Amino acid sequence: MRWLRFAVFIVIVTVLQAGMVDILAVTRWDVKPDLLLILLVFFAIYCNTSEAIVTSFTIGFAADIIGSAMGAQTLSFGLFGTSLAYLHRVISIKKIPYQSAAIFMTGVLAGTVAYFLSLLKGQPASSNVYGAIFGSSLYSSLLGPFFFLPSAWWMRMKTPRFRRK
Amino acid sequence: MTRKQTRIWVPRRNKRRAGSVSRRMVFTWFTLAGLILVVAPQEVTNKFQFAFARIFRWPLSIGRNISLSARTRQPLGDVVSRREHGQLQNHLANVTEELVEKHRKVEELSGLRDRLYALEGAKLMLADVITGSIDGDNKLIINRGESDGLAMGQFVLGDNSIIGTISEVSARTAKVKLITDPSSNIAAKIVGLDVETVIQGDGKDSVKVQLLSIKHKVKVGDDVYACKKPGLLDTAIKIGAVAGCKRDDGNPLLWDITVKPACDIKKLSDVAVVIMNPRQ
Repeated sequence: MRWLRFAVFIVIVTVLQAGMVDILAVTRWDVKPDLLLILLVFFAIYCNTSEAIVTSFTIGFAADIIGSAMGAQTLSFGLFGTSLAYLHRVISIKKIPYQSAAIFMTGVLAGTVAYFLSLLKGQPASSNVYGAIFGSSLYSSLLGPFFFLPSAWWMRMKTPRFRRK
Repeated sequence: MTRKQTRIWVPRRNKRRAGSVSRRMVFTWFTLAGLILVVAPQEVTNKFQFAFARIFRWPLSIGRNISLSARTRQPLGDVVSRREHGQLQNHLANVTEELVEKHRKVEELSGLRDRLYALEGAKLMLADVITGSIDGDNKLIINRGESDGLAMGQFVLGDNSIIGTISEVSARTAKVKLITDPSSNIAAKIVGLDVETVIQGDGKDSVKVQLLSIKHKVKVGDDVYACKKPGLLDTAIKIGAVAGCKRDDGNPLLWDITVKPACDIKKLSDVAVVIMNPRQ
């Protein structure tokens, strides 16, 4: 793992998520993709388990910095990123549909847990939060696998895929 | 000659490389750090967010401007833009309301001098929006802070209408809690009614009027104003207009009123903070 590249990459993506991802917003509910969620799944799939733990918590911290309350996403991203990395040791997640499904499931679970943790922190309960989590996870899962290739190029990582023999 | 043999104890070599840490330990440490962040007071953890906003102020502003310009349609020829039209409408509404109030005061308290202009003694501190509301958290971070005279509770204007209040402040940045935030409660009144009420954000892009009895007549399109608040706001300023009015499902004796903010908060790139008693 090239940690310096990782750090620069996370900073760039965090700034993009905070400032520019509005361009990609769709529907009247402003559903936006979560680039950090996509990265979480990317590193959980393509790194070894130890690296995946560190990257998951780091990405969660970055998500907290541009979010409403600190700590909630650090914990939820860390937990589900680590779980996904362990799951990947048992089930291979290398086909695009599987990657999309992983992004969607991780987004829904991590978003829900982060929401409850933020309630613990005294953040106000907002209406239609589950719709927002669902929409964002779905959008990220559609966009995510296409974001994997440039991410792999930047991180100088190999992304082997299953091919028919 | 025989050599004397002695047995010495040699520690077994540890399989793990020196300095390496097990996965379980790494996970535990990070989880602990996350838990500390969760339980730490908001004022402390906000410093991370403010620091990020300050360090990456330029790229964030540029990104926001790009996304705003991408989402804003170009105006046609000589037609006045919707935003400018909205600003003027809000300004007109504020001046009209002020005029009505002044007339009433003059009638009731003739002889007492009063201010002619709503915010004559106030300082309007212009601020750029660094980051807008992300993931529906209904807050903005602006590039003015304590060193510019900002304090918690001060009202924030966008396009001449109230959009929220300062909720957290650091030396050079501040967080604005928008009127659409569910935890935002602002005293307000509907034009034509003598009663004050409270408005609360619905977490999306509108505001609900709380606890208003159905004996008051409310029409769609009526303007809603933030009430005066000593030390923070010396005159009523427009918040928005009634967009929907029906009986409350939970309590049929109360109205369920939806108010649409007077400006498009998501498209704001700059705001003004009302400082009523500025330091010289």
